[in-house]
Amino acid sequence: METVNPIERVLRGVAITLVILFFMFPILWIVLMSFQTNETILRMPPSVVFTPTIENYQALITGKLETSAGILEIAFMKNLFNSFFLSTASVAIGLVLGVPAAYAFARLKFKGSEDIAFTLLSFRFAPPLLVLLPLTIYFQQLGLANTYGGLIWVYQLIVLPLILWIVRGYFEDIPADVEYAYRIAGHSWGATFRKIALPLAGPGIAAAALLAFIFAWNNFVFALVLASADKQPVTVGALAFVTASGIQYGQIAAGIVLSIAPTFALALYAQRYLVEGLSLGAVKG
Amino acid sequence: MSKKEKQLAEAFVAGKIGRRELIKGMSALGVTAATAGVLVNAAATQALAQNGFDWKKHDGTSIKLLLNKHPYTDAMIANLENFKVLTGMDVQYDVFPEDVYFDKVTAALSSGSSEYDAFMTGAYMTWTYGPAGWCDDLNEYISDASKTNPDYNWEDVLEGVRKSCAWNGRPGGALGSDDAKQWCIPLAYEQNNLTYNKRIFDANGLAVPTNLDELLGTAAAAKSAMNGGYGIGVRGSRSWATIHPGFLSGYTNFGQVDLNVGADGKLTAAMNTDVSKQFHSKWVQMIQESGAPDWSTHTWYQVGTDVGAGKSAMMFDADILGYFMNGAGNAEAGNLAFSAFKANPDAAAPTPNIWIWSMSMSSFSKQKDAAWYFLQWATGPEHDLFGAREMDLVNPARSSVWADEMFRNKLSNSYSGYVEMHDVSAPGASIKFTAQPLFFDLTTEWAATLQKMVAKEVPVDEGLDMLAESVNRQLNEAGL
Amino acid sequence: MSDATTSAPRARRFKVSRQLLPYLLSLPALLTCIGILIPFLTAVWYSLQRYRLSQPWNRGFNWGQNYLNFMTDSAFWNTLKVSMTYAFATVALELLLGLGIALLLQKRNRFNNFVSIMLLMPLMTAPALASLMWKLMTNPGFGILSYFATLLGFEDFRWASDPKTAMMTVVIVDIWVYTPFIMILLLAGLRSLPKQPFEAAALDGVPRPFVFWRITLPMLTPFLLTATLFRVIESIQQFDIIYAMTQGGPGDKLTVFQVEAYLNFFQSTNVGRSAALLMILWAITYTLSNIFIKNWLRLREKQRGNA
Repeated sequence: METVNPIERVLRGVAITLVILFFMFPILWIVLMSFQTNETILRMPPSVVFTPTIENYQALITGKLETSAGILEIAFMKNLFNSFFLSTASVAIGLVLGVPAAYAFARLKFKGSEDIAFTLLSFRFAPPLLVLLPLTIYFQQLGLANTYGGLIWVYQLIVLPLILWIVRGYFEDIPADVEYAYRIAGHSWGATFRKIALPLAGPGIAAAALLAFIFAWNNFVFALVLASADKQPVTVGALAFVTASGIQYGQIAAGIVLSIAPTFALALYAQRYLVEGLSLGAVKG
Repeated sequence: MSKKEKQLAEAFVAGKIGRRELIKGMSALGVTAATAGVLVNAAATQALAQNGFDWKKHDGTSIKLLLNKHPYTDAMIANLENFKVLTGMDVQYDVFPEDVYFDKVTAALSSGSSEYDAFMTGAYMTWTYGPAGWCDDLNEYISDASKTNPDYNWEDVLEGVRKSCAWNGRPGGALGSDDAKQWCIPLAYEQNNLTYNKRIFDANGLAVPTNLDELLGTAAAAKSAMNGGYGIGVRGSRSWATIHPGFLSGYTNFGQVDLNVGADGKLTAAMNTDVSKQFHSKWVQMIQESGAPDWSTHTWYQVGTDVGAGKSAMMFDADILGYFMNGAGNAEAGNLAFSAFKANPDAAAPTPNIWIWSMSMSSFSKQKDAAWYFLQWATGPEHDLFGAREMDLVNPARSSVWADEMFRNKLSNSYSGYVEMHDVSAPGASIKFTAQPLFFDLTTEWAATLQKMVAKEVPVDEGLDMLAESVNRQLNEAGL
Repeated sequence: MSDATTSAPRARRFKVSRQLLPYLLSLPALLTCIGILIPFLTAVWYSLQRYRLSQPWNRGFNWGQNYLNFMTDSAFWNTLKVSMTYAFATVALELLLGLGIALLLQKRNRFNNFVSIMLLMPLMTAPALASLMWKLMTNPGFGILSYFATLLGFEDFRWASDPKTAMMTVVIVDIWVYTPFIMILLLAGLRSLPKQPFEAAALDGVPRPFVFWRITLPMLTPFLLTATLFRVIESIQQFDIIYAMTQGGPGDKLTVFQVEAYLNFFQSTNVGRSAALLMILWAITYTLSNIFIKNWLRLREKQRGNA
């Protein structure tokens, strides 16, 4: 790329350092807290000098928390599994439903396409609270209450609009000529979609899927209201450490670390699609 | 039960070893804490089984509970095996964190779900649940000898607590009146009194305050004596929960009420009297001078955390919050002491407002008689005594448990002044609010007004007049 | 390959379903979501009623009285003002910051790639839990950020508990959580831009600010709009951060729509008012999105015309 003068280099370096400081310091602090108990977390003034303990992680992973009142059972790992299962299943279904639709809106202009696309997006406008009461009542009547299926359906309201609108943009960026050439050669729509459009929009799909996964992961009001304790995600589970004998900050911090870890691993894995592959410039030629 | 386990249990019952040793010994034998609790209490359960009541009537039935994550719940679960043995019933339960617990209850009940047969609740919440038709009047069960075992002894439950859970459903209707419905039954309750840090008090020669003026003085003195801490913890978040603990307890002590009930049954605001304005001024001044700097975001757990970490010298809040903060895992464990508090020097006795964790029966339950078997056991004398002695079921709601020497000694040994505090203030302890459907609207607005006063955005007099006006308008709109 | 033999019948089928194909592709998504209309319409119905769960005997149709009441309700106007301020402040700042970071990380290299993924971490922390941690970090006494503020000379800085700085504090938390969302979308956008215009500009020696304003920004606009659209929708409906940090206080400083509606619904069980409040929120979101989408489509058309 273009040559950069030294002053600009320094300024850029300072800027990126500040950005990393602002966004990563709280994370670092959370990680530090996850190796402490309240006795060292709640000190005045706060300090970074402490003897680390893996007590919090131990309690979360084994599900047994030793307190002065005896051993308590905690279901954190079950919560983690629920989050993982609900988010993955929702995003998978969201992709199956959303990607073809996004393609249709991007490529096959048809009567009412913009209306349908907007309607789909508008499902995201409805504040969750607005539909919560009727939803619980209907779920009860339909027998969907307290089922993973019901939850995954509701989660579509979070993931589907996101996938649809982001992926649509990427499909539109693929030059129509490439697909046209392939179709001219006698291939069907289906084959063109699978062999040309999908691979080219892959990075966009990966980005959308990752963001949708994160939003599904962070949601908690639907599961709380629509399902019983054994189907709750980590977001609800971690609140269990706000106990009658005070907030167990160390355990919440450990809970946050454990709940970020899988998503972060996923993001690192998808990295090449996300930030390297998002180069349609080459295709555009 | 193996011989070794039996020996351990017997040694415990005979007082040869303590509870911790027992649990330790048991876990060495592969027995969990819950099971250990069962062993301890098996004898009491056996006695219960022989009282002539048909405990096995619902043998094989399974019921499901909705519970809040709380030491009371832990106590219930620890003793649950005994109930199962006693009745042959099975008990399922869902436990949700307190932060979201009532959202879950409201959602489950408003949708008419029959999933849960009984649930844990606070008494204030039944002012919504009862009239909404979500929970049943339990008087019908209590007074039915064919459904309730002869040892239940309902009269044993402290009168103020028992009556605070009963309301006739008429806005402004007195709690515990003759036509009142028993919407819930107490598991245990909390009074609002003083918890203070004895270490800080002793080191600085502070005396325990005995009225509101002294409280202001002591709090200010404590703050200047402490390095970076503050004098007094009270709640301050924008929520009904800010009004109900210390604040309302002190307010009531000056003979003040939240609402007046007219002869025609109409409700009107009563918080802008002269006495009330004086009380508010002092309260606000106390927070400004020696309260937490971040008072306006303080819920019960910040108030508790600060006193437990030695950041505040005392708190005027739930006694059991002080009880938990005095336990292991807190910097000031063992340093906290308790005192009944009478805000008004001319008042005869303290008038603590109370919070009551209790059990209600869901109106949507399909097996109410079986659910009642559980409720009478969970709120009965046998479990109450077990919870108070062995677990953290404080404050028990039954006078027979408060008479128990073992329980009193347990408290007196590690919680300085707790038993005396309870004895002094229990007769005046009850819910001091007027029961009515706008309870949460009005108390939230009250808290927001207090926040504005403390931030000096509005003078106390003016703020209270505005609050009263707004309250009257809302009552009027709701046809109350 | 058997392409020649299989593609013939396929092509015939394709002719029949050509008109139907787009509908076949998009209808499953629509049908999946359409179910939500039933609870939605039920909620509209509630919003037209005098409906408080604790007073079932009082329930009845009241012809939009809930909405009319808002006209004279100062709490409502305060809610509207606070929500708008919050949404505007967060989205504007996040856009600026997100764009800045995306530009800094634009160049493809291992360091930039890793940093961009690392910066997603705040977004992966559930806002409800993140807020608990921020509340601790801004606690006077125990809080590390309060400690830093003291070191910087801000004695007695009270963050969310002071009416003067409460809004600023929740906005900072929101920026911390959601800027990465904008950043990653814009970064993807930046890196997907075609190279020629930039190479041509560099050859011609066009000054860089000019390149930014006249080439980069216009080409990035569709991505900016998508990111803004989703952020506006979420920001105006913010609940988790504000409720966890201050419950809407101090005073009425942060009583945004969802906090008010939540208290109305879950605590006061005033379903009618809660639903009416949320319907207004829905209408605002709907209108704003409509404007965004119109512009988005226009821009897309224009761009394709240019291409």
